Amino acid sequence: MELKNLRGRAAFVFEEEDFDVDQIVGVTNIKLKDPAELAAVAMQEYDPDFAQQVRPGDILIGGRNFGYGHPHYPPMIAMRHLGVAGVVAESFSPGYWRGEIAMGFPQAACPGVLGLVNRWDELELDWQALELRNLTTGKALPIEPLSQADRLMLMQGGLIGYLKARDAEPAG
Amino acid sequence: MGLTIAEKILARASGNDRVRAGDEVKARPDFVIAYDFPGYTDVIFRQMKEDFGIDKVVDPDRFALFIDHMVPAVTPKEEELHQITRDWGAEQGVPVYERKGIGHQVAAELGYATPGAFVVHFDGHISQLGTYGALAIGVRKHLLEAFVKEHIMIRVPQTVRVNLTGKMQPGVMARDVFHHIVRVLGPSACRFQVLEIGGPALAGISLEGRQTITCLAMFTGAITAIINPDEASLAYAQPRARLQIDPVSSDPDAEYSAVHDIDISALEPVVVVPPSPANTRDLSEYAGTEVHMGYLGSCASGRLEDLRIAAQILKGRQVKPGFQLNVVPTSQEIMRQAAEEGLITTLTAAGAFVTSSSCDYCFGRMGVMRDGQRAVSTGTLNVRGRMGSTQSEIFIVNAAAVAASAIEGRIADPRRYL
Repeated sequence: MELKNLRGRAAFVFEEEDFDVDQIVGVTNIKLKDPAELAAVAMQEYDPDFAQQVRPGDILIGGRNFGYGHPHYPPMIAMRHLGVAGVVAESFSPGYWRGEIAMGFPQAACPGVLGLVNRWDELELDWQALELRNLTTGKALPIEPLSQADRLMLMQGGLIGYLKARDAEPAG
Repeated sequence: MGLTIAEKILARASGNDRVRAGDEVKARPDFVIAYDFPGYTDVIFRQMKEDFGIDKVVDPDRFALFIDHMVPAVTPKEEELHQITRDWGAEQGVPVYERKGIGHQVAAELGYATPGAFVVHFDGHISQLGTYGALAIGVRKHLLEAFVKEHIMIRVPQTVRVNLTGKMQPGVMARDVFHHIVRVLGPSACRFQVLEIGGPALAGISLEGRQTITCLAMFTGAITAIINPDEASLAYAQPRARLQIDPVSSDPDAEYSAVHDIDISALEPVVVVPPSPANTRDLSEYAGTEVHMGYLGSCASGRLEDLRIAAQILKGRQVKPGFQLNVVPTSQEIMRQAAEEGLITTLTAAGAFVTSSSCDYCFGRMGVMRDGQRAVSTGTLNVRGRMGSTQSEIFIVNAAAVAASAIEGRIADPRRYL
């Protein structure tokens, strides 16, 4: 079984280093639980029309150390509700990375991505070839391989599915 | 090439003779620690039974639960969460430590910081057990794995070594040293790696101060921090250790991804300005900024040396009228010792509001600010909304600077009071 490739547009480019993802919904909304409510407030500070423009399968692009600070889950709950299929960044902060991989939300580190992608470019994230292809420009860059556990977790839709799949293995 | 302490600990925990950074191994945590928090422990307890059909954890002595957030409870729902935790602990034979203080500190006091142990928690500040040569990693929701599997998958991390040299000047504390490390290395220098602290300056940094430094490792991007055991840390940790494990240390020729020498001789007190833990500046640049609240406490600071220096500064002086100074010793044991030393008397006489140990002042459940207020704080974090209104601001400083600022109602350089 292989991990499914992602294909979609670059719905937004967060160029800021050490980007605090809580800013996506705003700290005042961080305690909201309902995905639709979260989606309604997401990206207001960045692009008020984001929810109208984003399409299922679209991808977010991030800068270096994406997810730094004290990341909470609601921002990406909002993004998934809006159809966003994953995040590709120059690099990730480990706490954010672990949290979102556990949710089964694809993340890929791609050094140089900010120079490869402009907003709304059509992208393909190829886990087998380990590259991000910009279909609009015809250029591509390598992505960093996932650990075995992270890859299995994404294939199983997150932590619970992953651990259940491991039930098949010998005890211990 | 030799091995790092992290590689040695994970080799033992995974039953291998030798592992190297980059290897993916199945390791058995020696201790699995959590505090009760909605969405974490209650969910893990439920998932364990409903999703995995597991009635009992393997080897409950490895587990420890702390009730340190929402203490004391202010709503019936919070008390219900605590009861779920107490009931689960009783059913499983897992110890539940309640009203003893902030768990990361109490864990060290109770011997979970066993040198050489591999420890997991969902919260990253557990990294402070690295002070005693334990490899303690915060894994967020992945903690479920340790409840339903005896072994967890982990990629052996690389290590960044920081050698501290020189000697701290009076008024400069371990808290400043940590934020200076962030300033020098940057907030992503240690991403997904272990931050190993060493060097001759460590001899001049107390175990409490080392806990401050290792506690905050995540703000360099590190997954934890660790210090090779020395005479001082072994003298504290070995007699109370809960497991018999041979302490290990990095080999002199261990392979690090980077080695940095940082001289702390010229370091001045720093301030970490809002809204990011990446913003270390010299405190002198911000001296005079009006502040309305002070918080001295948290798992990072609030230990005896913090209380002592605050008491030294506040002795015979008064907190500025209208300024709210909350002092929250990190554990009840520290509270008791502070009382014996007379520190509580001094702080209270100066107008500080001294309360029993709890995490609640750090994450904005108590002692919160309204729009437009500013705090000086030894809490862990200065992001927007961390202490109340998203329109309030948190300036992180050392304990001495909290005390000095409380006197002036402005960010103040503590060295003038020493």
